[in-house]
Amino acid sequence: MASVQFSNLEKNYGTTPVVKKINLEIEHGEFIVLLGPSGCGKSTTLRMLAGLESISGGDIYIGDELVNDLHPIERNIAMVFQSYALYPHMTVAQNIGFSLENLKVEKSLRETMVRDVAEVLELTPLLDRKPKDLSGGQRQRVAMGRAMVRTPEVFLFDEPLSNLDAKLRGQMRKEIKALHQKVQTTVIYVTHDQVEAMTLADRIVILNQGKIEQVGRPKEIFDAPKNVFVAKFIGAPEMNIFALSNEQMFSDFELSNINHSGMSIGIRPQNLFLNKKEVKGDQISFIDAEVTGTELLGSSLHIECKYQDKKLVVETATIDTSIKGDIRLYFNKTQTHLFDQNSNTIPR
Amino acid sequence: MNTTTSHKVSSTLHKVPPKKGSLWLRKGNKIAPYFFISPFFIIFGVFGLFPLLFSLYLSFHYWEPAAGLSAMEWVGLENYVFALQDEWFQKSIYNTVVIALKSGIPQHVVAIPLAFFIHTSFTRWRNTVIGVYFVPYITSTVAISLVFTTLFSRDFGMVNQVLTSLGNFTVADIHVLSWIFPVNNVDWARPEYTKDMISFVVFWRYVGWNTVLYLSALQTIPKDLYEAAIIDGANRYQQFWYVTLPLLKPMAFFAVTLTIIGNLQLFEEPFIITGGTGGIDQAGKTAAMHMYLTAFVESDFGTASAISWILFMMIAGLTWMNHKLLGGSNEE
Repeated sequence: MASVQFSNLEKNYGTTPVVKKINLEIEHGEFIVLLGPSGCGKSTTLRMLAGLESISGGDIYIGDELVNDLHPIERNIAMVFQSYALYPHMTVAQNIGFSLENLKVEKSLRETMVRDVAEVLELTPLLDRKPKDLSGGQRQRVAMGRAMVRTPEVFLFDEPLSNLDAKLRGQMRKEIKALHQKVQTTVIYVTHDQVEAMTLADRIVILNQGKIEQVGRPKEIFDAPKNVFVAKFIGAPEMNIFALSNEQMFSDFELSNINHSGMSIGIRPQNLFLNKKEVKGDQISFIDAEVTGTELLGSSLHIECKYQDKKLVVETATIDTSIKGDIRLYFNKTQTHLFDQNSNTIPR
Repeated sequence: MNTTTSHKVSSTLHKVPPKKGSLWLRKGNKIAPYFFISPFFIIFGVFGLFPLLFSLYLSFHYWEPAAGLSAMEWVGLENYVFALQDEWFQKSIYNTVVIALKSGIPQHVVAIPLAFFIHTSFTRWRNTVIGVYFVPYITSTVAISLVFTTLFSRDFGMVNQVLTSLGNFTVADIHVLSWIFPVNNVDWARPEYTKDMISFVVFWRYVGWNTVLYLSALQTIPKDLYEAAIIDGANRYQQFWYVTLPLLKPMAFFAVTLTIIGNLQLFEEPFIITGGTGGIDQAGKTAAMHMYLTAFVESDFGTASAISWILFMMIAGLTWMNHKLLGGSNEE
């Protein structure tokens, strides 16, 4: 178990910077999720930590040791790949024990270690099978077993669940979470799936275009996004954000006492209600909108509306899809988010 | 989505009725596939199947072609028995096997690491390097054989010049390398060297071909596996031994099969290098050459056909053994 530190970490491909002076401290045993859209630099950051990618600038520390120039095996990390990267010609036992063989661990000890890991991951009956005879979930567990067997100081996961179907993904999320609670090793997990990030992470690091946008606990990031990018990236459907462009809007959101030039306001679809009684708190306000469409998701309904010529989505528990025409939407003013002309959140 | 806009969109679309085919199209549809595939079957029948079956038929007959088809005489297995008991045929089989092993094994032993080296070490110049190795394969056999005949010439060949200059290298008037290199010109046409010379030419010609085959297989191995191996602490040698080699097995089966087929039918290189005679003491005469000479010099087409079927059975047997050894998926 070890802490990890990125200090002014940079990566350039030719003249194109993909990771731009990242600074981050990860505590012992912490479960950190690097979250961001495709091309934001999250996998590159992970690969630099693993030693699979050279670094263009800055430092990486694992524990107190500077690991910039160390070979991956010397960093005492283990990695689970998106494709699992299981050796197709080896059995499950050989896949799990391969790193031990390279480390010249004695055969009997190696077999014991493989058996112990297989026991934890419920892979014992599958030890003699080859990867092609395993289901997606089982392959995922073998990949985790291969990572666990060396008792590394840091676990790295590179979008490990993206090849699984939705049901299995949910199950594997729980298994990864349980595993982390059991082994208490530092985990750095890369994903673009915010559900994975919200459910697994102790802290989430939101990356965008090679820069950290926000670091925080999942609830903190959801409730208090630092800027428009984070506000829109976290939460589904995404937060309704619109520029404050006319007096009616200033009046609706009761913002007339502030200088609003270039500002925008945001409210999550879950915080807009059809009935006043559903709104919690006493600072209740409303806006009038026109329904343009509905989308039934089974347990909830997304109502698409037009407010001041801007698109607005409301998520409601009602499943009445016949809703149409003009509606009044209620909200608690404390649950709105105000952004300045640079798209940064204005504390309220 | 239940929207008014969706109604608007659907009302703007026009229904396009499905096209009805004419009578010719509907009836013709059943005949057309056979019509279009027929050139292949006609050409295969005339130039592939007929010669195959005719040679099998011929192998059980004695036939003097000049006397016409009616002169065929049924001899049963006599041609096979004669061929198998013929000393020259036995020698040609021995020569073929020796040349096949001496040229075939190094082809693969060199091609696999060479392909791995090119795959891992070249990026920008990869295609150029591959092209250089591939050139011998697309060069005329006659040109290659003539070049090598010149290189191996006794008095003026470059091979002898290099070897003898090494053999005559002296330190304090002592030929320090004479125990390994010759001091006088070697006559490469002598029977003990003929097979080695042919093997070297065949090896040189096909090593590039095999490199390309292995290189194409290497490109299908996912990069993730190597990265996983690096994380698992495998060095370059271990990556090659534990990841690359096992995953090259299917291609190795294919490439070795091609080598078996090609080397056991070896004809052009030995024919040109030995001037069509097989060399002194027939040391460079392969089975395919023996078959050719039996048919077109001795006009014994029956025995030549029997030889070709014996060769076919040898190739089939060796390919089956290769399948047992290297065939089958890695993942099984």
